[in-house]
Amino acid sequence: MPANRVAPLVDREVLGGAYFLLTFRHPETARDARPGQFVMIKAGVSAEPPLRRPFSILSADAARETFTLFVKAIGQGSRSLCAMAPGDVAQCLGPLGRPFTPPPADEEAFLVAGGYGIAPFRFVGEELARTGRTARLFYGGRTAADLPLLDRLGGAGLTVVPATEDGSLGERGRVTVPLEAHLDAATRPVRLYACGPDAMMHAVARIAAARGLTAEVSLDPWMGCGIGTCLACVVRVQGEDEPRWKYRCACTEGPVFDSARVVWPGEEDSRARRAGGGAEEARR
Amino acid sequence: MNLAVEIAGIRFKNPLIAASGTFGYGVEYEGVLDLSLLGGMVSKGLYMEPRDGAPTPRIVETPSGLLNAIGLQGVGIRAFVRDVLPRLAKHDTALLVNVCGDTVEEYAEVSRVCDGAPGVAGLEVNISCPNVKKGGMAFGGDPRMTHEVVAAVRKATRLPVIPKLSPNVGDIAVFARAAEEAGADALSCINTLLGLAIDVQTRRPKLGFGTGGLSGPAIRPVAVRMAWQAARAVKIPVIGIGGIAAAQDALEFLIAGCRAVQIGTANFVDPGIYERVLADLRAYLERHGTDDINDVVGTLEYPGLPRPCDSGGRE
Repeated sequence: MPANRVAPLVDREVLGGAYFLLTFRHPETARDARPGQFVMIKAGVSAEPPLRRPFSILSADAARETFTLFVKAIGQGSRSLCAMAPGDVAQCLGPLGRPFTPPPADEEAFLVAGGYGIAPFRFVGEELARTGRTARLFYGGRTAADLPLLDRLGGAGLTVVPATEDGSLGERGRVTVPLEAHLDAATRPVRLYACGPDAMMHAVARIAAARGLTAEVSLDPWMGCGIGTCLACVVRVQGEDEPRWKYRCACTEGPVFDSARVVWPGEEDSRARRAGGGAEEARR
Repeated sequence: MNLAVEIAGIRFKNPLIAASGTFGYGVEYEGVLDLSLLGGMVSKGLYMEPRDGAPTPRIVETPSGLLNAIGLQGVGIRAFVRDVLPRLAKHDTALLVNVCGDTVEEYAEVSRVCDGAPGVAGLEVNISCPNVKKGGMAFGGDPRMTHEVVAAVRKATRLPVIPKLSPNVGDIAVFARAAEEAGADALSCINTLLGLAIDVQTRRPKLGFGTGGLSGPAIRPVAVRMAWQAARAVKIPVIGIGGIAAAQDALEFLIAGCRAVQIGTANFVDPGIYERVLADLRAYLERHGTDDINDVVGTLEYPGLPRPCDSGGRE
């Protein structure tokens, strides 16, 4: 059950650029959060901006009763959060949403992060590391400055493969370039997890379909309440046996969805994609 | 200390009611807050059949407000009665169903389904949603249509009938009286104000539907004025709605003549608002030397204000 209570800021770390690590005290989120879940949070009680904002949980520490967010100060909500000082309180509802499904024992997890989309993946790595498992993280952005968490991922059992479009860090090109190369070379079955810009997640969904792999994506539409009442954050999702898509709340039925069930922009039916390349490629 | 109010024979244990479309079906908040704290709640708008609602994006923030075009996505009245009502039964709060329709007949049909359903205290008739192509504001924007819909619902049910009026009209008093004459037991005032937000980069509306309904503190003075005008125009009780985020906001509506209020957009901002507002209402009553919230209702002192000119006006 999520808890709605004030959350004091206990630690604030400036990462450079507009990036911050913010740690809040919120016992329920610290104790119950799973990788891929989020909180709805807002600095103080001011009228502006009106709404709380959803943020993926970067990590949770049950013993300290804290959780940490990776925040980029880009809009009114995120800027006011990043302007908080330790001791200031935020209003927080969490933990919320459907977490990532852990990979089956015989599958290796490939995590695909686009820029800001790195937020949920350290937590995924930490969870896997707890049972002695590892994951490969493909961490991409336009330029090196878009990868500010790169040196904060140690200890999470992650093998990191960075990529930048301008070649300033790691492989040159989109993050899907090294992803495809590693998939070609993989000797074990792979499960994909993606979070980032919609175009990147759509590309990962296509790669998964073409190779007959399962991919989970964490979607990030505008959200009003985080708990399924405002119906603002709906996304088009089509269940396996459903004749057409339905609007489903990203806050309660997501934010993590099976990429094969998402009806992406420009599509009308997710089954067309699944019946096409996916099955063919899978048999190959 | 008494916070209970009575409207159309329904007892609300306090004057705070969760507004339609901002509280889902209530059950979403189980575990997050004690629903028995609420005086009442109004369900998401319900038609006979499930509805997809409007295309995305569906909300955009505006200064101190929220512009939305959800488009009445919903599960339909039968699923609500079958799946949701039994879950709400254990909470001690008055439940109103927000009744929608594409046609007058559909409003009546949804009302008939509610009439036999256990646990429904009353019906709020949605003749004011700005985000649907048929029904909604089309009925609430023409006093004859308002009369027709309310009369049809009145005939279809023994439950209290509470039309929710639109602010997107010239004189809300005309609509308040039309609803009263058609047999309404109370009025909800107001629904959202029609608005438009534009993305200057793409030069397109920010909302998928195009226009939307504005809510939140931005609309409060307009809402207080219109609820006050409606309350002066009719004898039946008025429930005030519009931008309430604190006890003093609720008190403005009560002083203006509303018997109760609905909290809407503020549910998204803080689901814990009820506990806070109730505590502050009690403190207000104490400071003002009274122990009954009803003593506050309609106590507006408005120097130089002409009496309502209509003979049916509320005095």
